[in-house]
Amino acid sequence: MDNSGKDKEATALVAEAEKKMKSSQSFFGAMFGGSSKMEEACDMYVRAANMYKMAKNWCAAGNAFSQAARLHLQMQSKHDAATNFIDAGNAFKKADPQEAINCLNRAIEIYTDMGRFTIAAKHHITIAEIYETEMVDIDKAIAHYEQAADYYKGEESTSSANKCLLKVATYAAQLEQYPKAIEIYEQVGTHAMDSTLLKYSAKDHFFKAALCHFCVDMLNAKLAVQKYEEMFPAFSDSRECKLVKKLLDAYEEQNVDAYTDSVKEFDTISRLDQWLTTMLLRIKKTIQDEESDLR
Amino acid sequence: MSSDFESYEQDFGTITAEVTNKIGRIPKLSGEEKTQLVLNVDKQLEEVRELLEQMDLEVREIPIQSRAMYNGRLKSYKQEIEKLEKDFKRSRIAYSDEVRNELLGDDAGSSENQRAHLLDNTEKLERSSRRLEAGYQIAVETEQVGQEILSNLHSDREKIQRARERLRETDANLGKSSRILTGMLRRIIQNRVLVFILGAIILLTIILAIYFNVRGH
Repeated sequence: MDNSGKDKEATALVAEAEKKMKSSQSFFGAMFGGSSKMEEACDMYVRAANMYKMAKNWCAAGNAFSQAARLHLQMQSKHDAATNFIDAGNAFKKADPQEAINCLNRAIEIYTDMGRFTIAAKHHITIAEIYETEMVDIDKAIAHYEQAADYYKGEESTSSANKCLLKVATYAAQLEQYPKAIEIYEQVGTHAMDSTLLKYSAKDHFFKAALCHFCVDMLNAKLAVQKYEEMFPAFSDSRECKLVKKLLDAYEEQNVDAYTDSVKEFDTISRLDQWLTTMLLRIKKTIQDEESDLR
Repeated sequence: MSSDFESYEQDFGTITAEVTNKIGRIPKLSGEEKTQLVLNVDKQLEEVRELLEQMDLEVREIPIQSRAMYNGRLKSYKQEIEKLEKDFKRSRIAYSDEVRNELLGDDAGSSENQRAHLLDNTEKLERSSRRLEAGYQIAVETEQVGQEILSNLHSDREKIQRARERLRETDANLGKSSRILTGMLRRIIQNRVLVFILGAIILLTIILAIYFNVRGH
């Protein structure tokens, strides 16, 4: 594949498209079929952008797509504009995350304007992922996930909304915003209980909610566990519930060793993932702090 | 007097030693030799019993002060004899280890056997418990994977439902637009027909006008 040749072709196309644009904006062009000229220019921008993509020149591809999108806006075809903005965002994702986020935001504006909330929500999720991975700005990521969840709820797709909310909750708990996390986990858990497909994940949600309660205050955790058992009898059979009870006992007795032992035992059967380890470590630290305080 | 007793004791000692030896050998032998040995041991046990009786008589003749010691010794000798007799009886009816080994194969010794057996069993138990643990772990992992798959399925279900709704809407819209288009077509045809009719009327009027003009002259 002669990709460098594509690069040059693409630049040539872009130049041509710009010329067409200029000519269409002049007086005569506007009279004699300016719109068709603009459409052609749009087309050429898109082709050029695709060629840049082949040559892996992401920045140029992104720019070409944004140009095409602006032209579409001028021609009042919002759909096409939004699609081109999305393409621009994808191209920029690989090169310049900030620029990608800008393009995606503009696309979302257009979609919400048109009332297409599901697609807007999907792109909020994409933006949130970019914040998660490349720019590591957890607050903004949380904000976008929340927006996405709201849109999904508005469109009655609770499952996708729950997925986003769960991510919000994991990050919130990591940032010690426990009430929010607890609320989300309980909500998702209660919703999951009722559905035949999801009831096997319900115990997981209650377990996480109980852990968050635990980080806040031990009594809360006890009450919460009792409440969940009442609501959802199968929860009391799960190993996670037994673990929480053991941890509660160890906490009452201020016995760090018992705590570590029960955690280790749980770990041998099913590995603890990163979030769980962080939370359990926090709880353990509170035990150790209290022990040292008492001494 | 006591020297007699002591000589009796010595005799007693030697004879019991011999008897013990022979009793030890009896199970290993069989047939002629065995019966011979058995008779021997029997005779020696008789001798020992007579010795004991004489020792008893001797003790009675000893003054009371030192009697206690000799009494004690006598009692222990009597116990020894009883034990020897018991062993003797047992050895006559028990069958020898060697014969049993010959029948059942050459094993080093029954206690070692048992020990190895037990160790083997413990190892097997440990292996099975390890396998059970691994199986349990796999089951738990499978459950987790299943949970994820189920939630994915749920969200996919919603997406498909939404897509179907939208498709139905699009279908309805397409139907509407096709109706509008047919309407447009009809109107175009109507217009064209009207235009032709009007054109025809105008032409007719012009022709009539020209005709009446020409006729008027």
